[in-house]
Amino acid sequence: MNTEHYLTLSALLFTIGATGVLVRRNAIVVFMSVELMLNATNLAFVSFSRAHGQLDGQVAAFFVMVVAAAEVVVGLAIIVAIFRSRRSASVDDASLLKY
Amino acid sequence: MSPLALSGTPLASGEAGVPVVPTAVDGVFSLLWLVVALPALGALVLLVGGRRTDRWGHLLGCAMPIGSFLLALVMFVQLLGRDHEDRQVAQTLWTWLDVGDYTVQMGLLFDPLSALFVLLITGVGSLIHIYSVGYMAHDDRRRRFFGYLNLFVTAMLVLVLADDYLAVFLGWEGVGLASYLLIGFWAHKDSAATAANKAFVVNRVGDLGMSLAVMLMVATFGTSSFVGVSAGMPETSEAVATVLGLLLLLAACGKSAQVPLQSWLLDAMEGPTPVSALIHAATMVTAGVYLVVRSNFVYELAPVAQTAVVIVGLVTLLVGAVIGCAKDDIKKALAGSTMSQIGYMMLAAGIGPAGYAFAIFHLLTHGFFKANMFLGAGSVMHATNDDVDMRHYGALRKAAPITFATFAFGYLAIIGFPGFSGFFSKDHIIEAAFGENWVYGVGALLGAGITAFYMTRVMLMTFFGERRWRPDVHPHESPAVMTTPLVVLAAGSLVGGVLILGDWIVEWLEPVVGPEEHHELFVPAIVLTGLIVLTVLAGVAVAWSRYGPSQTIADTAPTRVSAATRAARADLYGDALNEAVFMRPGQKLTAALVYVDDVLIDGTVNALAALVGGTSGTARRLQTGFVRSYALTMLGGALLAIAATLAVTLS
Amino acid sequence: MILLAEFESPKVEYATISPLLIVVGAAILGVLVEAFVPRAWRYPVQVGVAALGLLIALADTVRVGLALDTLDAGLLARGSLAVENSMVVDGPTVFLWGTLLVMSLISVLLFAERRLEGGLTSFAGQAAALPGTDAEREASTRGIEHTEVFPLLLFAVTGMLLFPASNDLLLMFVALEVLSLPLYLLCGLARRRRLLSQEAAMKYFLLGAFSSAFFLYGVALIYGFAGSFELADIDAAVSASSGANAYLLGGIGLMAVGLLFKVGAAPFHAWTPDVYQGAPTAVTAFMAACTKIAAFGALMRVFYVAFGGASWDWRPLMWVVAILTMVVGSVIAITQTDVKRMLAYSSIAHAGFVLVGFAGVYAGTGDVVGVTSVSSVLFYLAAYGFSTIGAFAIITLVRDAGGETTALSRWAGLGREAPVLAGTFAFFLLAFAGIPLTSGFIGKWAVFAAAWAGGAWPLVVVAVVMSAVAAFFYVRVIVAMFFSDPVDIKPAVAVPSILTTGVITVTALATVALGVVPGPVLDLAQQAGAFVR
Repeated sequence: MNTEHYLTLSALLFTIGATGVLVRRNAIVVFMSVELMLNATNLAFVSFSRAHGQLDGQVAAFFVMVVAAAEVVVGLAIIVAIFRSRRSASVDDASLLKY
Repeated sequence: MSPLALSGTPLASGEAGVPVVPTAVDGVFSLLWLVVALPALGALVLLVGGRRTDRWGHLLGCAMPIGSFLLALVMFVQLLGRDHEDRQVAQTLWTWLDVGDYTVQMGLLFDPLSALFVLLITGVGSLIHIYSVGYMAHDDRRRRFFGYLNLFVTAMLVLVLADDYLAVFLGWEGVGLASYLLIGFWAHKDSAATAANKAFVVNRVGDLGMSLAVMLMVATFGTSSFVGVSAGMPETSEAVATVLGLLLLLAACGKSAQVPLQSWLLDAMEGPTPVSALIHAATMVTAGVYLVVRSNFVYELAPVAQTAVVIVGLVTLLVGAVIGCAKDDIKKALAGSTMSQIGYMMLAAGIGPAGYAFAIFHLLTHGFFKANMFLGAGSVMHATNDDVDMRHYGALRKAAPITFATFAFGYLAIIGFPGFSGFFSKDHIIEAAFGENWVYGVGALLGAGITAFYMTRVMLMTFFGERRWRPDVHPHESPAVMTTPLVVLAAGSLVGGVLILGDWIVEWLEPVVGPEEHHELFVPAIVLTGLIVLTVLAGVAVAWSRYGPSQTIADTAPTRVSAATRAARADLYGDALNEAVFMRPGQKLTAALVYVDDVLIDGTVNALAALVGGTSGTARRLQTGFVRSYALTMLGGALLAIAATLAVTLS
Repeated sequence: MILLAEFESPKVEYATISPLLIVVGAAILGVLVEAFVPRAWRYPVQVGVAALGLLIALADTVRVGLALDTLDAGLLARGSLAVENSMVVDGPTVFLWGTLLVMSLISVLLFAERRLEGGLTSFAGQAAALPGTDAEREASTRGIEHTEVFPLLLFAVTGMLLFPASNDLLLMFVALEVLSLPLYLLCGLARRRRLLSQEAAMKYFLLGAFSSAFFLYGVALIYGFAGSFELADIDAAVSASSGANAYLLGGIGLMAVGLLFKVGAAPFHAWTPDVYQGAPTAVTAFMAACTKIAAFGALMRVFYVAFGGASWDWRPLMWVVAILTMVVGSVIAITQTDVKRMLAYSSIAHAGFVLVGFAGVYAGTGDVVGVTSVSSVLFYLAAYGFSTIGAFAIITLVRDAGGETTALSRWAGLGREAPVLAGTFAFFLLAFAGIPLTSGFIGKWAVFAAAWAGGAWPLVVVAVVMSAVAAFFYVRVIVAMFFSDPVDIKPAVAVPSILTTGVITVTALATVALGVVPGPVLDLAQQAGAFVR
């Protein structure tokens, strides 16, 4: 099976994730879009790993999962804190700092 | 392009400036570092010592430059006793930068050129320090003032004694900083703060030239020392020499208030008068001339840059003179005159070996007579409760006789009255200008006439005519501590011309700038001298006819009515009428040139500032505060980054 | 099929990477302290653990630096690969480690300052408590503090130490996250103006995660291109490849996004002003100095070592980014009305100046090593780090009832109120402006000289012009402090404890020393030599 297809899918997922960051207002959804981008990367890692016939890429995917999990912990903490003080999780509401 | 071809001749004859080849210090010269260290110590003690030094601070402040002056004098005498080729001594203090093949030594170079500068800086500087004791007596921050003055002297000495362009740059920035602090010394005046700001920013523009020049030197020669650059110059291409020359010229324009970077000098008059005398007349503003003469080994190989120097000098000498005519503020009139006189020096320096020595000669005599006049103006202001408007003066010669007499010496020197120092120095420059190209000569001659006009105007409006004092002003002579320096400087204005006796200064500077090239004139020199004197007399006569004792009524009548603005305005109006009747063409020209200065040049500078400010105001709106728009910028940037790398490779 | 019998445990050179281990050890110790030490004791113990850990790590770095093996005398390349080629400890690494540890040690002192907030640190007493509620008031009256900030700082430092020492892109990504995650949290922990602080944390987090996704996708593409994560292998693949390769070029572009985001280069700079302004000032100081150092170290390592062979592909990109960064930073700073925010834009401009040195790509000529891109950037980062921490430390001292007053209008007349403080701040600003006899001058001079030697003279010309523009807004602050009359309510200058005073003194002295006698440090940067691949 050609890896090109998997890579195309990965690029597509990455683009969908990036678009999600730009168009969604809810901080949680924005963050989920970032996670989608990371998972798109994982797909690319695994595909390349297969293409090169090595395990390195698959190992990398595991590392990325762990890092993403850590990111979730920190990210949710921040988003929850800001939700509690503002009663809103919209990223557009938090725009006091500007110019 | 005839001027270009003309000034290009030295290159054709294979002459390439004079390389710097110093010997190591010995004997008394090993104390060279002390010349710089003394004022540095003074500045340190006064600025760090705080209020504890208030009582004796001004005495220490005076003692330090005097000490430096005496030391320098001893060294100067020693240098006189040496052979021509041994007259460059260098002392290495410490290694400032040492990176692989590029090293910058913190070193000092004492040669005929820097010797003259050191004497001028410490000599005139000491006198101005002494004068300031009296002038600043009632200012409760006098100690701090002396601290800044000492700081300035230190930086200026570094500038002229350094043996490496990078170290010159250090002094260069140092004098800028000290000048900034001193212009803004009376910061309670809004105008002083603005002026200080303007001086700093305009000077930074000039500094661009200096830093790029140093960078180019390092890239070309692997060093920025005088020794290395002067030795490497003959091997480089003319293009490099030209760029280097133009960059150094840009630097010189900023520091020496030459067109197009002249605008800050007039505003800088907001500082205390001794500052105007020391920094903005005698020493700092002449740093540009020093730089050009010092870099003679660059300019000799860059005829285009040389021509640029001449043009800058010529334009400035005329613009400055015209500004001098238009100002009623005595200090600003003198500031215009400073610009103009430095224009003369630049003109001479740009001419090349035929003019270097005369540029320095005029610089020295100007240092005396202009410092003299500025201090005189300060003394007048001291007498009139810090009023600077000449329309409020008149008939001060009786109230302040010593100030009048000494000011008169300076006046006679600057207009080039035969026998006074300025006569010799200006005469030689005009002569050299004619020898180079008749256009230069006519410009310089015209400048001499205008100088005579505006200086006579200053003289008449201040010391002659009827009293136009404000009601609460009771003019009096200044204390001895202020008049003594005036007398010394007046003496210098008179006898400064001795330096040219037997072409002494020309020979003295030969180890630095090479032998003088004499160009044959189309008329005998004596005829030209006569022509100059006649032009000067014409300028004096015109001024006399407009501002002489018989003309005073038109001037005073409106001012005496009230001190209000309306009167002042009416006064101006009457004056304008007066001028229109007496010399309409001259008036037109003045107006046009002042317009060009105010609108075109100053306007360009201001417009640029406004443009940057406006862009800034608009651009900061892009920072909307919305995180999603930031993400969009980043995504755009990412696409651009990929597109850029792909485009480079695929193209 | 890998059999258990064939498994070889990885070789770890503990003696070479020990500074890193000491810092991470101290961080873990800090977590344990948080769990087991009584509340009253936590503050002194945490400060002690953090300071001592960093100090020992610093001493250890010196040891490691002295023990480096010489690989190539000509290029002064010294050092070795470690941990199965995934890390590299060489001259630049050691220099960066030393600088980072010194800066973070200074930052710990700022973090620990307690006199300004009446006996409490400037971090939120209880981050979970809502600002303005009873819970929060109770927390502050009972003197509750988040001493977790110290372990968080140590974890961030761990990431920073690892970032420029990674010889493996995957490890580099992990390091990037290790340094970023604690910083996201630290940004949101301000005691005063919590809403701004939390907003800063959220913006930093979302944009940071967004950028690291780009970085990671870049890593994936590079892996696809070279079949390895190791920099040397990638370098070999770049040299071997002929013609344009979309994976390589795309990877370079995407990785550049992630790294340039961290250094705060335009157009990836948008987070910088908001985060710097909103974060607690001590954290801003730490980020401004240390993150920049680590990120530039990594940027240079990746682009010089792995992509060095393709430098003509990315050089135009870096030129454009450098110019854009300098212009954006300098120009927008001019109209800023908040001192802290102005310093943030100034830090963007400085990132641009460093990029000029970076984009020059100058490795010296033959036998004699002059100022190279690497050494000039290293020196600049050290010089800038000191002045920037000092400047932010001074900002913490100008206060009114609501905490720090950063509005420029409120700083008017500060020169009369507190001449020494204002004078020191003015001195830092002059150093930023690059006036001779300050470290900023030598730093600028070095990067410009390297760039010029590398043939990037148009960049240098733009840089010199922009530094003139930049001088304008620094002078504006000086004018406000010394030459303007104070407005209605004067700001008070708080008297700090020995900690902040010490920070300001040390940074000011370093700024002078690096300007007057830069020789030793410049020499050290020189001796750091080239990257080992």
